[in-house]
Amino acid sequence: MGQALLEVRKLRTFLQSGNREVRAVDDISFSIPKGETFCLVGESGSGKSVSALSVIRLLPEGIASHPSGEILFNGKDLLTLDDAGIRAVRGSQIAMIFQEPMTSLNPVLSIGEQITEALQLHHPDMSDAEAEQRTIAALEQVQIPHASDRFRNYPHQLSGGQRQRVMIAMALACEPQLLIADEPTTALDVTVQAEILRLMRKLQDDTGMSMLFITHDFGVVAQMAQWVGVMQQGKLVEVGASTSVLRKPQHPYTQQLLAALPENLAKPSSTAPSYQLSGQGIVTDQSPLVQISGLKVWFPIQKGLLRRTVDYVRAVDDVSLAIPQGQIVALVGESGCGKTTLGRAVLQLEKPTAGNIKIDGQELTGLSARELRPLRRKMQIAFQDPQSSLNPRMLVETMLTEPMKVHGIGADNEERIELASQILESVQLHRDFLWRYPHEFSGGQRQRIGLARALVLNPEFIVCDEITSALDVSVQAEILQLLLSIRQQRNLTLLFITHNIGVVEYLSDQTVVMYKGKIVERGETGRVCKSPQHPYTQKLLAAVPRLLI
Amino acid sequence: MTKDPANRESFGASIWRKTLAGVGVKFAFAWVGLLVFGAVFAPFLANSAPLLMYKNAAISAPVLQYLSVEDAWVLAMFFIVCLLQRLRLSTGKRILLFLLGGVVAALLANLFVKPPVLVIYDDFRTAAYTDVDWRIMPPIPYAPTDYLRDLGSKGLEAPFETKGRVHLLGTEENGADVLSRMIHACRISLSIGFIASGIALLIGVVVGGLMGYFSGIVDMLGMRLVEIFEDIPTLFLLLTFVAFFGRNLYMMMVIIGVTSWSGYARYVRTEFLKLRKQDYVQAAVAGGLPLSSILFRHMLPNGVAPLLVAVSFGVASAILSEATLSFLGLGVVDAPSWGQMLDQAVKSSTFNWWMAVFPGGAIFMTVFAYNLIGEAFRDAIDPKLSRLSEES
Repeated sequence: MGQALLEVRKLRTFLQSGNREVRAVDDISFSIPKGETFCLVGESGSGKSVSALSVIRLLPEGIASHPSGEILFNGKDLLTLDDAGIRAVRGSQIAMIFQEPMTSLNPVLSIGEQITEALQLHHPDMSDAEAEQRTIAALEQVQIPHASDRFRNYPHQLSGGQRQRVMIAMALACEPQLLIADEPTTALDVTVQAEILRLMRKLQDDTGMSMLFITHDFGVVAQMAQWVGVMQQGKLVEVGASTSVLRKPQHPYTQQLLAALPENLAKPSSTAPSYQLSGQGIVTDQSPLVQISGLKVWFPIQKGLLRRTVDYVRAVDDVSLAIPQGQIVALVGESGCGKTTLGRAVLQLEKPTAGNIKIDGQELTGLSARELRPLRRKMQIAFQDPQSSLNPRMLVETMLTEPMKVHGIGADNEERIELASQILESVQLHRDFLWRYPHEFSGGQRQRIGLARALVLNPEFIVCDEITSALDVSVQAEILQLLLSIRQQRNLTLLFITHNIGVVEYLSDQTVVMYKGKIVERGETGRVCKSPQHPYTQKLLAAVPRLLI
Repeated sequence: MTKDPANRESFGASIWRKTLAGVGVKFAFAWVGLLVFGAVFAPFLANSAPLLMYKNAAISAPVLQYLSVEDAWVLAMFFIVCLLQRLRLSTGKRILLFLLGGVVAALLANLFVKPPVLVIYDDFRTAAYTDVDWRIMPPIPYAPTDYLRDLGSKGLEAPFETKGRVHLLGTEENGADVLSRMIHACRISLSIGFIASGIALLIGVVVGGLMGYFSGIVDMLGMRLVEIFEDIPTLFLLLTFVAFFGRNLYMMMVIIGVTSWSGYARYVRTEFLKLRKQDYVQAAVAGGLPLSSILFRHMLPNGVAPLLVAVSFGVASAILSEATLSFLGLGVVDAPSWGQMLDQAVKSSTFNWWMAVFPGGAIFMTVFAYNLIGEAFRDAIDPKLSRLSEES
């Protein structure tokens, strides 16, 4: 290791939560050489963000305490600095960028003003004109097109990727020696993520800064880091050069994390017969379970006093798709491509503008709520966000038995409760969980309950809307394996909406790629992933950060 | 950070705990509790008739003979509520049983409680009631409409002024005990607050819920309706109705209720607009659940929190409306009310401080208490504040 810019020695950070003390960071030591990148990787709650915030001393004063440890930055201990001292370091020598590009820029100031303010704060003698010049140069450096025009733009006028570029420009404006990046690409689409990562590597080469990069994605680690530290429950369980840690993990936890990546999961041999997907239908004698033809979901854009419809957002634009019985069809695409809208439109949660949807040969569009009710048994949905997918005021028991009651499943309440506990056991939860409220569960458990709720009506078809995206990789692996085993037992047909290519490869039989409301490519998963035809699919697959082992 | 998995406190319980955390709000609840106690047990707290007496080797309870239908009903409702608190039932069943119990109690009270039509309070001070072996009198031995004619009260006696009789808060112009009147007036204040707010809440939730859930054209028409009702001046409508139909407490409750639901409708609408796109509501739709269940079981409990805040303020303003009307001399005549007592204080030719301070103080305290409760609720519900208090 070369000369260390940042050296963290035996750092502990305790957080006061009510009367309890949480050991968020427990005795970690690592160092970052000049011009190199150190990645902290771990699952949510492992303390990686708290470690980064400890370095820059951004944790709230009364709550966080450091019982021991040293943070040596250029040989100076940051923990012993007073407020004025740390302010001089922050921004000018250590800069930070955050995960959420939506909230980390101030919406009422133009992006130019925000960057010049940071500049002039650290260089008080800089004139306005010079600051503006420097700002435009910084924006050009992060490859914002037409930087001088963008100077007076407000954050809402920029896309998520551009906002993250502005954040980076702001962080780099004062030419810091260390950049702390806290999951800077997690909220971005994979193609945008690839661009931002490339940009950050280029800027590192140009300026020679060091980076402390926090992520949960091993693919990103492989692309960015020279050094990696794996965190588990506040402890750094493994530290080393990234190539050796990723290739030959020593600690069992690292091995377990790497094994849980969808691309490393042992793929079960698919028992479902393979069909050829096509817009018109499939080329077998069996008719598809779900047949979507010419589906359009347009949202009107209304303007003016009279709320005249001036244009439409074409969320789903003329999509035809046949989903054969017993298959897992993955629907892939970036955020805003209309994949979620398509999934909801199939279940009639979103009213289609035009087109037909048939399940089991029965037409769904144009039915009233009453006519639709018996058909609802056949199709269910599971959601992405474990926080909002379960009603916080309801017992799990009520959530599971109420739909059964409405659809006349089970003779009486006792039988329904018995059925509900069987379903809970089938998603590998304890039957006593029936008598609990959602806030008592972890994210993975909530997703299992969400699946159980979808299963109580014994449906033939389930739309899984990004059900694993909010989960840690090990929990995601469990849910995926569970999904496959349930599919086997119940001969389920799934429409699996996701943006994670690794999950697609592991889980699905067929893959459908959506781009700007249209389907651009479809086919067997192996074929689509190995030899993509459409340029967008090629770009998408190339952008996926992969861990090549 | 991660939540303690052992934390099995339900949402309602945690809101309740946070609401009660302040000191002021404890006093507020204590005051409201005192009012409820006074309202329910008024005939036993302040009455000219003895509670129990022993005469000619027989125990009798004259208070019970003179219990009015209303007294009996209020008592019955109180015990029904206490009983429902004990039983472990769902909220819906509780409300249903409560309403059912109310109707049954009203029927039974009307059938079986037959108080004498004319009560002559002077009789209670004759030998028939005083010449006994022993008797237990209520803490305040004067009924609210007992004008103490036989005792030669000249009226408007300051507290502790009279010799031979104790009037803790003095007497009013007709000679009746002020404290006794105030205790009996609790009932009007509480009932007008709760019933008027209850009516407003019912209309507001239904209208607001439909507006929020369906949005679009329903929302637009509903909002216009809300705006129309917001423009009705409640006080002048009340004055008009009193002029036309005479003074009736129940009519006042209905009018205050019918004109003040618009605020609740707005709250419910906003909550429902937010909630209807939540995944669990979508899941309920996908499960084919009926609309009433989606609206009232899945959405309402999640949107009810800001409503509780509004209700506590609404109760306070309904009490004020009634006090205003009574103060203007348009309130109920036969039963005492705090506003009416204030009116007496003003109309009197001399300034009698006890006639102004005590009822005025009671109105002030009650409105203050409800506002404190409302604010405590609001703070308890606000997720930002609760996060702060947990961190610090």
